[in-house]
Amino acid sequence: MMGVQPFETIVGAHHAEIYRYIRRVTSRATEAEDLSQETFLRAYRAYRTLGPEANVRAWLFAIATNLTRNHFRSEKRRRTAHLAASVEGREADPEGPEDEARFREAKTLLESTVRGLPLKQRLAFILRKIHDLDYEAIGRSLDCSAESARAHVFQALRKVRLSLNGHALPPETSPTNMEQPR
Amino acid sequence: MSRKPRTCIEIEADLVAAATGDAEPGAVRRVEHHIDACAPCRGEFRRYREIDGVVGALRGAPAAAESVARAREGLESRLADLKSRLVSYRVFPSPLGHILIARSELGVSLVEYLGEHTDLGASRLSRVTGVDPQEDGAEIEALHRELLEYLRGDRTRLEWPLDLRLARSDFHRTVLQATAAIPYGAVTSYAGIATEIGKPAATRAVAQALRWNPLPIVVPCHRIIGTSGALTGYAGSQIGLKQRLLAVEGVRAMGTRHDARVARNTLYHYDRNDQHEYCLPTCGDIARRPIGPVTLLASRELAGSLGLVPCTACRPDLHPLTV
Repeated sequence: MMGVQPFETIVGAHHAEIYRYIRRVTSRATEAEDLSQETFLRAYRAYRTLGPEANVRAWLFAIATNLTRNHFRSEKRRRTAHLAASVEGREADPEGPEDEARFREAKTLLESTVRGLPLKQRLAFILRKIHDLDYEAIGRSLDCSAESARAHVFQALRKVRLSLNGHALPPETSPTNMEQPR
Repeated sequence: MSRKPRTCIEIEADLVAAATGDAEPGAVRRVEHHIDACAPCRGEFRRYREIDGVVGALRGAPAAAESVARAREGLESRLADLKSRLVSYRVFPSPLGHILIARSELGVSLVEYLGEHTDLGASRLSRVTGVDPQEDGAEIEALHRELLEYLRGDRTRLEWPLDLRLARSDFHRTVLQATAAIPYGAVTSYAGIATEIGKPAATRAVAQALRWNPLPIVVPCHRIIGTSGALTGYAGSQIGLKQRLLAVEGVRAMGTRHDARVARNTLYHYDRNDQHEYCLPTCGDIARRPIGPVTLLASRELAGSLGLVPCTACRPDLHPLTV
């Protein structure tokens, strides 16, 4: 009669990741706070109807994505404003080793490119590349097929490629304190 | 500007996927085969590998731990608020017309006769403040099944956790709790409940409290009648419902719809006594004494389960009621 597991367990296991996901998409702490909370309040209302086989994590990402999309739809003007604001990235550490400085610069550029992507591409890119969701789950989150989800990620990568054009990147490896590419 | 060869255009998506660790094995092989022979695509492949390295670095948390903690704290407080307001409900058909059952985290909070209606708008749930109703079949399913079993007479107890939040006052809650203790097949009066809760003069207030009983059937206000045996009110003026619920428990009522009374001559009587003896309705003048001090019982089994023994004068054990 009850849901798959106590809701507190679900919150404990997934809240931080969902918050970080939304935080990256919206880039505003207050929005991320509100939307991540809203995600779990929605989830609370519905989680008892989840089957025991349900992928709770993918389900939460779908709710979060949906809320975020609605949020942007209803606040288009604010979105434009915050895009402009968010371009001011973090500064590269000028005193660090040359590779690291170059890497940070690329990372900052990448972050601002990602923020400038059309929403669906941005969401698909973040879900796939940051949170490792499979394309089926991304498709469900974005109301599209797995193939379209894959195409969104591809288009996003192409744009990233273009924006980093002419930018020297450390060859294939990142500094040791960063996570290795897969 | 030179145009890219068609084979390079066609393989681009696979190339990007392969370079960023996101391609099927078949695609990886095709890409490897292609870049062995195509220097520009080899360069592209390398470039995407480099980009993937930078993308990997984005996985580091974009938000400080304290902002995650703050968001979590806010969530806990909003969740607690939602839990306290949220009640899930469902309306379903029954032999007594449509019935709405609602429950909160704490327990069942409302059972309501809706008659012909099936929508929330007909329920008091849509009018109370501080409650957030949500239709939820799964939650209520088991309760629904048990209630139907009860109405068929296949179940004599509804052991549900109760949430008395819709009771109108602490006094009402006290009345409901005392009423909930009246066992299946037993009948007492409003005056009896008033005495039970230590307010013997509050008969009318008890009747009012039961008039607003948010949990009919579960809190069996149908087992509470007038001292004379008259069924008095139920769910507005639906005496017929009261009569049916009592009949399921073996308590018969006679008379018209407007003046129905329990048939005392078909019920065992217990007038509080030190010997804990229960009687036949024909024992002395017991059937003329007011209900309240006297409890009516549908069966000898019930009397036994309450720890009562047969009266040594009228011997209900030797002359059980046969009606």
